[in-house]
Amino acid sequence: MAFDDIGIDASLGLGEQASAPGIDRRSTLRALVAGATTTAVAGTAAVGGLTLGSRPAWAQAATDADLFNFALNFEYLGAEYYLRGLTGQGLSASLLTGTGTQGPVIAGGPVPFQSAAIAQYVQRLAVDELAHVQFIRAVLGPAAIAEPAINLSVANWSTLAIAAGLLVPGQTFNPYASDIGFLLGAYVLEDVCVTALAGAARYLTNPNDLAAAAGLLGVEGYQAGGIRTLLANVGAGAATDAISALRARLSGVGDNGTLANGVAYNFVNTDTNALAFRRTPRQVLNIAYGAVNAPAGGFFPSGVNGNIR
Amino acid sequence: MDLDEIDLQIAPSASDPEPQEGTGRRSALRRFGLRAAGTAAAIAAGLAATAEPAEAQAITDTNILNFALNLEYLEAEFYLRAVLGYGLQGSDTTGVGTPGIVTGGSAVPFTSQAIAQYAQVLAVDELTHVRFLKTTLGAAAVAEPTINLSTSFTTLAVAAGLISPGQTFNPFADQISFLLGAFIFEDVGVTAYAGAANLISNPNYIEAAGGILATEAYHAGAIRTLLANIGAGVAANAISNLRATLGGGNDQGLVIPGQAYNFVASDTNALAFRRTTTQVLNIVYGSTTAIGTGGLFFPSGTNGAIR
Repeated sequence: MAFDDIGIDASLGLGEQASAPGIDRRSTLRALVAGATTTAVAGTAAVGGLTLGSRPAWAQAATDADLFNFALNFEYLGAEYYLRGLTGQGLSASLLTGTGTQGPVIAGGPVPFQSAAIAQYVQRLAVDELAHVQFIRAVLGPAAIAEPAINLSVANWSTLAIAAGLLVPGQTFNPYASDIGFLLGAYVLEDVCVTALAGAARYLTNPNDLAAAAGLLGVEGYQAGGIRTLLANVGAGAATDAISALRARLSGVGDNGTLANGVAYNFVNTDTNALAFRRTPRQVLNIAYGAVNAPAGGFFPSGVNGNIR
Repeated sequence: MDLDEIDLQIAPSASDPEPQEGTGRRSALRRFGLRAAGTAAAIAAGLAATAEPAEAQAITDTNILNFALNLEYLEAEFYLRAVLGYGLQGSDTTGVGTPGIVTGGSAVPFTSQAIAQYAQVLAVDELTHVRFLKTTLGAAAVAEPTINLSTSFTTLAVAAGLISPGQTFNPFADQISFLLGAFIFEDVGVTAYAGAANLISNPNYIEAAGGILATEAYHAGAIRTLLANIGAGVAANAISNLRATLGGGNDQGLVIPGQAYNFVASDTNALAFRRTTTQVLNIVYGSTTAIGTGGLFFPSGTNGAIR
């Protein structure tokens, strides 16, 4: 894909976006500060919408191990994407085994990084996701799922980009062709991991598991915030908005690109209470599979492994 | 503060095409990738052995959320004053406990529209967190305690070795100083929420805390990215080192061996650090011996049971 197609200024650094100088939220912020009571009442309604102690149908039988295995599918996906993007090689064989059906990885990469800085950002992402795979597998022990079939092909990325309206049928999106393309691929994945972990936290029963999940969630948040910042600074806002809109459409849960909320640098993805969005496993799978209520597809052509799927 | 005083290390900018040591890192990563899972098994056993610390035994959800509210008051005041020149108003500051006064802070003369917008997003988020927590806590919400945004930053910068006694660090003086000020707070917010998550019993509050935790992590990741890209690694590392000294370790610099863009702070399992409430208070009080009395950003202590 040529980035001209989606309006990205490829110059790196803290660029000023053409649309930015006219945007100033200070007047909005002044009104917001002045309107304390009104907004607080709005917050009450949002909190009241949560039902104390109830577990929805999907979570009735979900154990901590089930929830960690669900997350492990996405750590496999992220680790394969970053490792292969950086080195051309994915997870080692000893990290792929487990319960369920182990599948092949259809992969791309390595990326011919032009910026040493971007390569280092990706290096940190790869190290993190590899460590997450190792950590979760160690926590689960023999209950850990095998790596499912994963599709990171240019064809799959292109399908996603067409669904997002970034491309027209016949064009291709190859995230392994350029630094910025690879960051856009990372954008597709990271916010989803945040919403999955944030959505699952309340259903964990063991305090140690909750501490571990909070640690995982924190790191996914760091990653997502950094990627959003890098993309906003190179003027990739329109592309991030299109990807966010696709995720929102597939999941039924809000999702904001970097041009949302009246700024050109929306580096967070949050609801009106400034809480990160939370998604159920099914909502997450709709995004990963690229279709609502599909049994498999997209990044996981044979579906994910584990009891939650 | 004059930035020259802080000796910003000029790391390669994001536009620098120099290959640098990427090749070496890749081979190191390959070795890492080949590491057997057996290493991780030992790590997990260590985590599983973690027991609830003694200090957490009698703590209620209300105590935890009020503790968080103090930190949100601090962050909201910092960002609102940086953007608008004034902070929280009226009912946003009221509650139980001793209402305090906020000193210091002024509108930052942003020269980059981009940095100004980052600041605006931060201000809106932290204001919203204050209101969300106050709404959630209802009549149990604590009042805003006394907050020092005037002399505290200089005290901290001297302690961190960024400046010498007699010099001043004013995070409101310019946009880079502002980002360094933000760096002080955001990683602490992440460790506070991550550390408190498993002390909460009500699932609704766990969900809310998780949502705020992630937002703080977005903030921290973005601030780290902005600072790394302008080569502020030495200054950020000094702040990180001070937090580690006060906060029981649990910190990681912006420039670490082999990585000049360390935009994530995590332990060896790539989990965000978790701090106890005492470790968090030690940082914002600027002392490991000020529990119950306060200091630095909260000269009269925080409000609520955890102080």
